[in-house]
Amino acid sequence: MNWLRELARRIRMLVNRRQFDVDLEEEMHLHLELRQQDQIESGMSADDAQAAARRRFGNVTSLRERSNLAWGWEWLEHLTQDLRFGLRILSKNLVVTFVIVLTLALGVGANTAIFGLVNGILLQRLPVPAPEQIAALVIQSGESSLGALGFSYLQFVEFREQTATICEVFGSATAWRLNFTAEGHSDTLTIGGVSSNYFSALGVKPALGRLVLPGEGEHPGEPAVVVLSYAFWQKRFGGDPQVIGKPARVGGKTATIVGVMEKEFRGQFSVFEMDAYAPLSTAFDESSASNFWNSRDMHLMLVLARLKPGVTLAQAQSRFDVVSRRLAAQYPLTDKDLKVRVMDERLSRPIPYANNAFIMFSGLFLILGALVLLLACTNIANILMARASVRRREMALRAALGGARSRLLRQMLTETLLTALLGGIAGVTLGASLSYLASSTHLSNIPVRLGFGFDWRVFVYALIVVIFTAISAGLSPALHATRADVNTVLHQGGRADASGKARHKVRGDLMAAQVAGSLTLLIVAGLFVRSLRAVERMDIGFDPNQLLNVTLDPSVDNYTRIQTNEFYRSLETKVRTLPGIQSVSLAASVPMGNTLGNQSVYVEGRPVPSGQRAPGAFFNNVDPPYFDTLRIRIILGRAFTDADSETAPLVAIVNETMARRFWPGEDPLGKRFSLISDAGPFVEIVGVARDGKYRILAEDPQPYFYVPLTQHFTSQRTLQIRSSMLPELLAPLVQHEIKALDASDPVEEIQTMKESLGGTLGYFIFRLGASLAAAMGLLGLLLAIVGVYGVVSYAATQRTQELGVRMALGASPRQILALLLRQGAQLVAAGLLFGLVGAWALTRVMSHMLVGVSPSDPLTYLSVAALLSFITLLACWIPARRATRIDPMVALRYE
Amino acid sequence: MYRDEILPGTLYLLVLKTLARPDKMHGYEIANSMQRTSEDVLQVEEGSLYPALQRMFIKGWVTTKWGTTAGNRRARYYQLTAAGRKQSAVERSQFECVIGAITLVIEAV
Repeated sequence: MNWLRELARRIRMLVNRRQFDVDLEEEMHLHLELRQQDQIESGMSADDAQAAARRRFGNVTSLRERSNLAWGWEWLEHLTQDLRFGLRILSKNLVVTFVIVLTLALGVGANTAIFGLVNGILLQRLPVPAPEQIAALVIQSGESSLGALGFSYLQFVEFREQTATICEVFGSATAWRLNFTAEGHSDTLTIGGVSSNYFSALGVKPALGRLVLPGEGEHPGEPAVVVLSYAFWQKRFGGDPQVIGKPARVGGKTATIVGVMEKEFRGQFSVFEMDAYAPLSTAFDESSASNFWNSRDMHLMLVLARLKPGVTLAQAQSRFDVVSRRLAAQYPLTDKDLKVRVMDERLSRPIPYANNAFIMFSGLFLILGALVLLLACTNIANILMARASVRRREMALRAALGGARSRLLRQMLTETLLTALLGGIAGVTLGASLSYLASSTHLSNIPVRLGFGFDWRVFVYALIVVIFTAISAGLSPALHATRADVNTVLHQGGRADASGKARHKVRGDLMAAQVAGSLTLLIVAGLFVRSLRAVERMDIGFDPNQLLNVTLDPSVDNYTRIQTNEFYRSLETKVRTLPGIQSVSLAASVPMGNTLGNQSVYVEGRPVPSGQRAPGAFFNNVDPPYFDTLRIRIILGRAFTDADSETAPLVAIVNETMARRFWPGEDPLGKRFSLISDAGPFVEIVGVARDGKYRILAEDPQPYFYVPLTQHFTSQRTLQIRSSMLPELLAPLVQHEIKALDASDPVEEIQTMKESLGGTLGYFIFRLGASLAAAMGLLGLLLAIVGVYGVVSYAATQRTQELGVRMALGASPRQILALLLRQGAQLVAAGLLFGLVGAWALTRVMSHMLVGVSPSDPLTYLSVAALLSFITLLACWIPARRATRIDPMVALRYE
Repeated sequence: MYRDEILPGTLYLLVLKTLARPDKMHGYEIANSMQRTSEDVLQVEEGSLYPALQRMFIKGWVTTKWGTTAGNRRARYYQLTAAGRKQSAVERSQFECVIGAITLVIEAV
């Protein structure tokens, strides 16, 4: 506690310092007087005595300072002096200060916005007790990473039982867009179907009512219940506590609202906000075609685990390895290469699956942010450099009066830091509002929650950024200003600064660096934008315009098959009478939306060797008008017809890739395959459809086939309507027809095909990447223009006299212009060269983020370089041209 | 602190020894006393006494108290604390150590 007492004493001294100063003054005064008196007594004259007393005493001012030093607070005193002086300087140069603050605000703003995003998505732990115990389980199966996004329910249960000694496994299967009707009003919600132990394992509490209870909802057919999220409860029910116990239709099923989730917990995904939660039995029926409960091929569950205290990830990993091997041996057909990775939950974001590109994505954007900041720094350094030349005289004068260089340096750095802090505050404010804007913008049909990450980490990050800026941008100009040889500077008369070949070089280097950084940013942006264009122009195999999708499931009404078919038939008939309808059809699955599982394909006459698994393909159950409605061309054979009835021979239509892969070099028409076993029953191929995109936009061509709904029944179907009317306007009319037909309103989801494609499996990530990168690129370009313009116009001003002499000696304005432009062009060229190399290096990490364009796409590189050189040369040309317009006589007298 | 005549670092020792006498003193008296005792050998830049006293006060070796001089002037009086007494011994042994070393060097030549 010694240092504490010491600190207390120091503070006391700091507070009483003025008193100490007065005391010291009095003491010294007394000493001098007494000495003088003694001298007089020993016979000196009064004047001599005073002089002698002073001589013996020494330099009072210096002694007083030395005495003050003893208090150990001189740094504070210097700091307040520096700050006071700095503020005065800043307020005297308001324009310069404003430009610096604005530049920095842009740089810091961009950085904090991106860091806030990354922080919110990747760094913050889940808001649950002991979040460090939560691990994510990611399946890495031998199949493609698309094949298995998560666990099948059976796998989940097996892992939960067999690892219970070291952890508690829990999980959820999310329904992204489910129809929710209560009090006569419908919404489309994101609902997490959760395992019975989900909330108990997470340790979250209800704000009201109860959550899903342990043991609840893990058998199909249990009473349906639903828990609302706090935000949805507030928004939809105005926070009414009476909501508990009320009925609501969830995905067409009547459920009871049993509780409201606590406010802090917004779902396990850091990006997507959950609106409600329901037990698995509410989310999945036994009768659903995709059999969630007992198919090992339905990989719908995203699984987490709470490790018991003291259990490390590595220990858990080895336990899961044991169970994985056991399951692989037990189910060689489905789980042959099963491997589960146990990882920090934060590394599995936003959605836990193997080959998560998000971390790289974040890293790339943090680097881009740093580049923007560097551009801002170089601009600031340029401004400070210009100001440093002006202030060399001041500094030289202060040095001549005895100011130590370290003291002068500190003074200048304090000024820079002060400005940087102002810029930092403005930047954080800007970043926060940008984040807020981004988080409230609807980039996708799914409520995406971005930029909630404004916590202490962001502020620490911003502070580091500010200090880094102040030092990197301020040190060199400060060194330059204080390096002044007193004699030279003071003898230069009024001339600002005539030295500085080296300094021109520094400024030139800064300008080249700016061009390089800006080029890198623009190339990355260009690649993202081209990738988005490529994705948007990509042939997805069908025409998504003017299409409305309505997903229904009348099975909740306990319809028989015949009743279900009848319901859909009359619905189709009714909808066809609505205005502007061109085509109406039904399908079990929607591209890039709800998809059915992978189906084994047994080719007739080609038995699968024992111990091996039949090859798989994804499929869809459709009705005859389907290919017309989606405008999928049948390139061989025929589409389905009404003749393909329940009792007619089983038929199928395959896509080009499936035809090529399963029957290479043969005519696929008339070939047969089975969905069940080598022995049949077989379906016959009657047509070949064009390839398209089925599950995610970035996928490679996939084998895919269609079977008639009449021959392969599903209760959940999507009504797809092509009309000349805007699909958004059509939606309420269709909903009205459905209600007229079935008062229980079995609608699960209504959205346009365009909206559906904007989702996470569709364009969302490409749009996010492109808009972020484009914003950064434009910011970089703006900073580079300002920087280049600044450097060239400053250089021109500095050379006013020289240019005046040249003109007086007969140089034409053209020659002057050429002289100034040549220098600018050289720097721009050097910058472009470095920028191309830098961009090439940086974009190596982007290969997984781009579609339809290579990370070294020459067109992007060259066109961006051409654009940037045009713009920067223009930024050189304007000040250079102005320089040629000066009157030589004025220039010669220019100081 | 003292001009060349005195060994660096010995000012504390001199002040501590001077204050070791029972009567408390103010700055001017300390300076005079040191000069007198050394029979005018130790010529000081008198002012440098004050930063030294300040440091000693901060370190807790002396306490201060305002009082009145014989000439009825207000003056700050200094008095040794227990810590100061201890320090005096430390400074002394250090001083002897240095002197001993110097003597060794001188005699070796």
